[in-house]
Amino acid sequence: MRATFPDTGVLRPRFRLTSWDIVVIPLVIVAILLLTIAFQGASQPFNETTPDLTVSLNPANLPYYGLRTVFRMFLAVLLSLLFTFTVATLAAKSRRAEIVIIPTLDFLQSLPILGFLTVTTSIFLGVFRGNLLGLEAASIFAIFTSQVWNMAFSFYHSLITTPRELQEAAAVLRLSPWKKFWRLEVPFAIPSLVWNTMMSVSGGWFFVVASEVISVVGRDNDQYLPGVGSYIALAIEQADVAAMVYAGLTLLIIILIYDQLIFRPIVAWSEKFKFEQSEAQEIAQSWMLRLLQRSGIASSLGMLGTTIRQMLPVRLAANHPGPRVEPQPSPGAIDRVIDRVWYALVLAAALWAVWFLATYMFGPGLGFDNGQILAANPNINTDLNPEIARRFAAVGVTVNPDHTVWLSDVCAATADGTRVSAEMTEVLRDERVGAPGDLAAACAIPMVPAGKVSWSEVLECLWLGLLTTMRVIIWIGISTLVWTPIGVWIGLRPRVAQFVQPLAQFAAAFPANLLFPIAVVLIATYALPQNLFQAPLMILGAQWYILFNVIAGTSSIPNDLKEAARVLGLRGWAWWRKLIIPAIFPAFVTGGITASGGSWNASIVSEVVSWGTTTLTLPGLGAYIAYWSTGEFNPHVGLGMLVMGLLVLGFNRLFWRQLYMLAETRFRLD
Amino acid sequence: MAMTLTSKTAAVAGKTILSVRNLHKIFKTPEGSDLVVLDNINLDLAEGEIVALLGRSGSGKSTLLRCLIGLISPSSGEVRYRNRLVTSPMPGMAMVFQSFALFPWLTVLENVELGLETMGVPEGERRRRALAAIDLIGLDGFESAYPKELSGGMRQRVGFARALVTNPDILLMDEPFSALDVLTAENLRTELLDLWETRRIPTKAILMVTHNIEEAVLMADRVLILSSNPGRIISNEQIDLPRPRDRNDSAFLARVETIYRAMTTPIATVVGAVGVESEHTSLGMRLPEADVAQIIGLIEQVESGSGQGRGDLPALAAGMQLDVDDLFPLIDAAELLGFAQIREGDINLLPEGVKLARSDIQERKVIFAEHLINRVPLIAHIRRVLSTRPDHRAPRERFLTELEDFMGTEEATRTLDTAIEWGRYAELFEYDAREGRLRLPENGG
Repeated sequence: MRATFPDTGVLRPRFRLTSWDIVVIPLVIVAILLLTIAFQGASQPFNETTPDLTVSLNPANLPYYGLRTVFRMFLAVLLSLLFTFTVATLAAKSRRAEIVIIPTLDFLQSLPILGFLTVTTSIFLGVFRGNLLGLEAASIFAIFTSQVWNMAFSFYHSLITTPRELQEAAAVLRLSPWKKFWRLEVPFAIPSLVWNTMMSVSGGWFFVVASEVISVVGRDNDQYLPGVGSYIALAIEQADVAAMVYAGLTLLIIILIYDQLIFRPIVAWSEKFKFEQSEAQEIAQSWMLRLLQRSGIASSLGMLGTTIRQMLPVRLAANHPGPRVEPQPSPGAIDRVIDRVWYALVLAAALWAVWFLATYMFGPGLGFDNGQILAANPNINTDLNPEIARRFAAVGVTVNPDHTVWLSDVCAATADGTRVSAEMTEVLRDERVGAPGDLAAACAIPMVPAGKVSWSEVLECLWLGLLTTMRVIIWIGISTLVWTPIGVWIGLRPRVAQFVQPLAQFAAAFPANLLFPIAVVLIATYALPQNLFQAPLMILGAQWYILFNVIAGTSSIPNDLKEAARVLGLRGWAWWRKLIIPAIFPAFVTGGITASGGSWNASIVSEVVSWGTTTLTLPGLGAYIAYWSTGEFNPHVGLGMLVMGLLVLGFNRLFWRQLYMLAETRFRLD
Repeated sequence: MAMTLTSKTAAVAGKTILSVRNLHKIFKTPEGSDLVVLDNINLDLAEGEIVALLGRSGSGKSTLLRCLIGLISPSSGEVRYRNRLVTSPMPGMAMVFQSFALFPWLTVLENVELGLETMGVPEGERRRRALAAIDLIGLDGFESAYPKELSGGMRQRVGFARALVTNPDILLMDEPFSALDVLTAENLRTELLDLWETRRIPTKAILMVTHNIEEAVLMADRVLILSSNPGRIISNEQIDLPRPRDRNDSAFLARVETIYRAMTTPIATVVGAVGVESEHTSLGMRLPEADVAQIIGLIEQVESGSGQGRGDLPALAAGMQLDVDDLFPLIDAAELLGFAQIREGDINLLPEGVKLARSDIQERKVIFAEHLINRVPLIAHIRRVLSTRPDHRAPRERFLTELEDFMGTEEATRTLDTAIEWGRYAELFEYDAREGRLRLPENGG
């Protein structure tokens, strides 16, 4: 009889401190402390009497501002995870929910992220009446929308592709649905979810920076939430170079800390969940993960969950039967009826939503009156200047809280341009006011109601959309041509790739909007053509996705293909056409989709850039949306967002998805 | 452990613990028609016996296994375990999977404990029993290892431990050794039989699904043979040989031969061999999924053997390391194309087959082409259609639609793909995969 000994790891006592705890325990305490400070700062009271929120350019404030910014990002991630676990699960488990949820998510992810800020600010302020958390919530929500769609789709996709055999094993072992979710479906989804989350956060720094300055209706000035983004915005306004440099350094440090202490350890940990049948050659390494794994307190904190579960009374499931794992049962007759009713309801809801949106944007006549198309009703306070707004109000014109002054209101106050008082004339003559030359004639033309959109404006919007689309296409094309050869060169040299890859990922995470002022200065000083020097700003941050995907694609070309090419004497353009381009095509498509999405979003902040008193504007859809983001949702910003959403959706479907299908069928390397 | 036991496994008429009555399973195809996968299955599993379910792929044997354990519910008929109706997985029945189905993020120990967890067994006892099970199947020292670190054989051991730790009455196995290499599979079979014989596992009955005839004869007390399309039990062979069994023993070989015979004898209804149906000479004739190179390889093998154009199927299978799913499509194809005849467990080459084996590459193509045109209506039809068209081209969808009059889309796609592969080899037509188009060869072949 041979003596048998179980593995010692199994017999290790549960809790003991190791030398690693000297590092980990203080880290944990510091983390908790920071969270508390940040939360206290975020929940100050804020109502009509609170002075405008500002930040100071004193660099000593930067650590605190950095903390607040990170706190926002952290909350956004938590919210995203919550949303993912509920909505994506619902979509995966219920066929009926799926047909509503998936297309909705698809559309929402095409909408420009910064547009959401406009939509939700007033809502959140209402919800959190009297507290700063309202503004924080609006900012966090904007960041949330930059991350959540990707994560939700990834989780949904993992849930519906859980391997059948594991599902059967879970059924045979009689795992309850709850247990099955947490023991099988979630672990299976973790590698993909983790990767998508980390990538989303990396991409999120850009939006954090852009979403901390919020226009609030009822206040003349924008509110600067304490954070690095506000700091940068103020620095740009005051053309303070030193402050910009400090801010850049702060961001660098924040992203570095995030990368080392959070990104890499979590990705390395998620390797354990990969459903591959063999050990990968290169395992993700992280010193932070090793630190946590070897520290006693971290492992007992990890055990906390298990311990709590065990203290709960255990339901005697000895005779509890397990679930079945049918292959899709064909729907019975009743099911089919319910399906039809459900589809009908969904269709009705969709139609109602479209009608509601149309009347909101165009007015009750949908932009027509007696069969005639109504003309545009312009805002004549073109700079949305609060002082001008007050002067108009003083002469009896209805002025809106966001400082827009509609021509129709001016007409109403002057009896269609016939009774114009002296004060009115004075205001109209102000060079900042875009009043029509002949007021009476302008008022005689039938126009859409105040604030609504006219069909001519729709055309204008489409035209602007076309301009922005052209820019996206051209500049993605140029980045491809520039970065692909470089990426391939790097990818073919593993040691260089090892060094450059993390740099490229880092560059993708670093918010490019910090560098925009440099462009402004250069363009303004040397009178450079805007289309050549301002337009590329939109891909400044996005181009790195193309680079590091090309590098990754090149690195994974199997060696025997490369060797065969050499033996056959494949050189020059033939080598590119027959080997490299087909081989890296799938990776390129992945990078391209992300890059183009990023460019669209960036267009809102890159078509209008400023430094101090200089502002450069490129005509385009991004500029349009930026202009109409007045702090409250209005038909014009709605139109802009809708057009951009449809353009992005169309572009993705017609172009990228076709390329993706091509990559999947013809260019797979397996 | 060395096998020194020579206990005779008498066909002990133990109590019936699993019984199946009039089980039918019908799936709905995407087109909406009914596909009968299992037709009127009746079987009993008694205590103390190992039963093998043998059949070709598509015979519904995996579906039957899943009905038995309650993963799938039958369209009609019932399954009873200890006289209780089985509607979902019950304690007392455990399953071992073909590709192990281990959870990659759990250690060996955690995987084995999983079943006990759902039974509500407290932690201490769980650990004790799991360690004992791991010890039993010989994986000591690997309790903290993750499946990624283990070889295939070790992973299947974990699969066994996980199933056995719950002390099941019935152990159901779905081709448990087919994903392992030959040596490891043999090793595990021997160890499992050892555990069974020495009663070190409390399991009372084992039902295993397999497509390896030798494995079935090696392990089982009874072999049930399932036909395909639809699945019916066509034979129940007793294997009353003492264990341990020797593959080279004449009695063993005789049993194997019997089974081959049972599987290749054409019966009025559908059997594993020639898939004869009423559409014998029509467009909708089902083609066996057989690779041309392998068909010819088989014919060559038989021709060059010592049997003068006759080959013993079990010997061929053993010699070429083929099991049922690999061999039977080849002999079906050889018979369909008129190169051989299958009778009573033997393959007899016809004169044309001998000629094929002895020709060179070009002659072979000519002979093959002739047989294709004469014996496969679909290929003759394709050729005719291409000839009559002015540009000699046709999209594959055209033929697919025609085939869908006879069978479901999936089956039609498979049949058309096989026909295209054969036709291309014989240079009867060419196929452009990118455009999905067939055309006559340029040089007027």
